[in-house]
Amino acid sequence: MRSIYLVLVLVIAASVQSASAGKKQVRYVGIHPVPRSEGGGLCYIEGPHVHIFAANKIEYRDHRDRNYFVGDPVAYGYDGPRHAYKGHHPIHVHAVVGDDQEDVEYCYLDGPHFHSFEPAPAIEADFKVAGDAYFYVGEPAPAYIEARPAMIKVNAVYAPIEYSRPVVEVEPPSGWIGLSVGVPAVVVVDPRPVVVAPVIVAPRIRTGVEVHVPVPSLSVEFGIGGGGHVRGGGGGHGKWKGKKWKRR
Amino acid sequence: MVRFLACVLLVAACGKGDGAAGSAGAGGPRDAVIAAWKKGGLAPSTFTAATVPAGKDCQSGTVGAVDVLLCVYPTADAAKAAVDSGYVWVGEGTGAAQASGTVLIAIADRRKSDPSGRTINQLMKLAPK
Repeated sequence: MRSIYLVLVLVIAASVQSASAGKKQVRYVGIHPVPRSEGGGLCYIEGPHVHIFAANKIEYRDHRDRNYFVGDPVAYGYDGPRHAYKGHHPIHVHAVVGDDQEDVEYCYLDGPHFHSFEPAPAIEADFKVAGDAYFYVGEPAPAYIEARPAMIKVNAVYAPIEYSRPVVEVEPPSGWIGLSVGVPAVVVVDPRPVVVAPVIVAPRIRTGVEVHVPVPSLSVEFGIGGGGHVRGGGGGHGKWKGKKWKRR
Repeated sequence: MVRFLACVLLVAACGKGDGAAGSAGAGGPRDAVIAAWKKGGLAPSTFTAATVPAGKDCQSGTVGAVDVLLCVYPTADAAKAAVDSGYVWVGEGTGAAQASGTVLIAIADRRKSDPSGRTINQLMKLAPK
């Protein structure tokens, strides 16, 4: 009988421990979706706050040890002010949440989508408006290119979601990131006659592509499928610190 | 003379509570926060003294069905430094904590009455900066 009590006590203790262990606070900042398991819908708290559910790695970015949602809130039922975008673009998180910790992250949603914010004044000039949507026409930073293969998986998250996406039926403006950016390629410049030989690689076909740089080449840059290119300096907007793009 | 001294002491004793820096007295920083919420259309309950690790001068109450803790500190920096202890008070659930001047505001939705967080958002946004 005593052993039965002992087993019961141990089982209860273990269940209490596992329950409390599963309720760790998770830090967020800004609006974000609530998982279906927690009731679904949107959390409209704009400032720093906590929940006891985790954020996924593909729709959230780290901002001062808090999870910041970079996806389309309308897909989850957001009913507040919204702004249409098409294609990938940077987000000045510090401007959106209103703090001084500079943090530029990227949205990798391919087609028309919404955000609750307009481009920050500091990068307004790098956007063109066409068909009531923002198109990013600036120079993407190396951090954007580097994270792209992993982060474009976010589109698979949104593909099955049925919601009213913005309708953008205009021709994209010249310089739009969706036209100019493919995957990194190599540009070889030969000094004799000026020969620029871009290796154009179709977007998303990265594996199996080999680039051989001839020995007498003078410079190697990151080229871009479609004729554009990415400068190592990221368009003069700042400097690259590790995986984060910091404005100067 | 004795009566006069008694009156002086009585006035001084009454005045001490209201006039002390950061106290809960009328017109204090905590009242300013509550007044801002009322002005914004919210209906805070009566706040009563709370004994919590977050601070010595704390009061708790409710707004809607969310629990609110308001602690007053001598300085704004002390209130900022207490934000983490505000999150400890929030505990296992949805909540927020921020400093508003010398006041620490901690909000906890323990009854899951604010699933969209709109009340919490309003409380945080209406508080004086």
